[in-house]
Amino acid sequence: MAPPDLEQQIAALHPASFAWALACTRWNSAEAEEVLQSVYLSILEGRSRFDGRSTFKTWLFSVVRNMAARARRRHWLMARAPGRLGGAEPDPDPLDSLASRQRADHIRRALGQLPARQREVLDLVFFHEMSVEDAASVMGVGLGAARTHYHRGKLRLLELLGPEDLR
Amino acid sequence: MTPGDDEARIRAALAEAHREDRTPSFDSVWSAAKPGRPVHRPARRWFALSAGLAAAAAVGVWLVARPPPATGWHPTGTRWVGPTVFLLQTPDLVTLRTLPPLDPAADPLANPPPARRGLP
Repeated sequence: MAPPDLEQQIAALHPASFAWALACTRWNSAEAEEVLQSVYLSILEGRSRFDGRSTFKTWLFSVVRNMAARARRRHWLMARAPGRLGGAEPDPDPLDSLASRQRADHIRRALGQLPARQREVLDLVFFHEMSVEDAASVMGVGLGAARTHYHRGKLRLLELLGPEDLR
Repeated sequence: MTPGDDEARIRAALAEAHREDRTPSFDSVWSAAKPGRPVHRPARRWFALSAGLAAAAAVGVWLVARPPPATGWHPTGTRWVGPTVFLLQTPDLVTLRTLPPLDPAADPLANPPPARRGLP
């Protein structure tokens, strides 16, 4: 069983972890929740242990990323299995602003066109306020590779979004 | 356009993308993840593992129970001796093993020569 301080640390990072899980699952909220649940289970069962070699957030995010990759492979296989059921994405809130939602969808589509490493490093650096070095640690790549993904991702995202979405 | 402007734009875009994140409550996810609770785990993985084990077992049984290959040659327990091995043996062994065949008619002990006429 996880000690109380560990649970508190995870609870404090829960919103950020979910946002990161969303980015890793291309904004599939059901899959992101499943990933996060698997991450917590892995921590509770002792299969994922924080060894203190990085910050707790960096370690937790790397566990989320690995678990999301595993879930993605599993869903890829299930999508090709015969007799599968359709996805169970919740309906969007009808009260949301249509224009705002469309803009967010457009940005997500643009992010979805980026290679996974570029999308991940941009999300970690610009949304989760991580350094490129920490992002490299989360992604399990070298610093040089992370910098390359970072610069290429920035250029590509700016190109994909166009001027109307960059306000 | 400066690099700082670009980064501010990307930061705003990502904030916009995450604006509608509906984070489930920590308690619900945490309690659902506690051991003993049913966690969404694909049975497909266990099915694939079982199928793999069954296939491996079937191959093992087939390898053990299959009939021997049908060929005309059968191994025997005799020791093969090369045709030139005798050359490595010492001559005396060869000569002492058997006696050379002698013509009985030429044996002086079995057939003594007839006495000469006129001689004592």
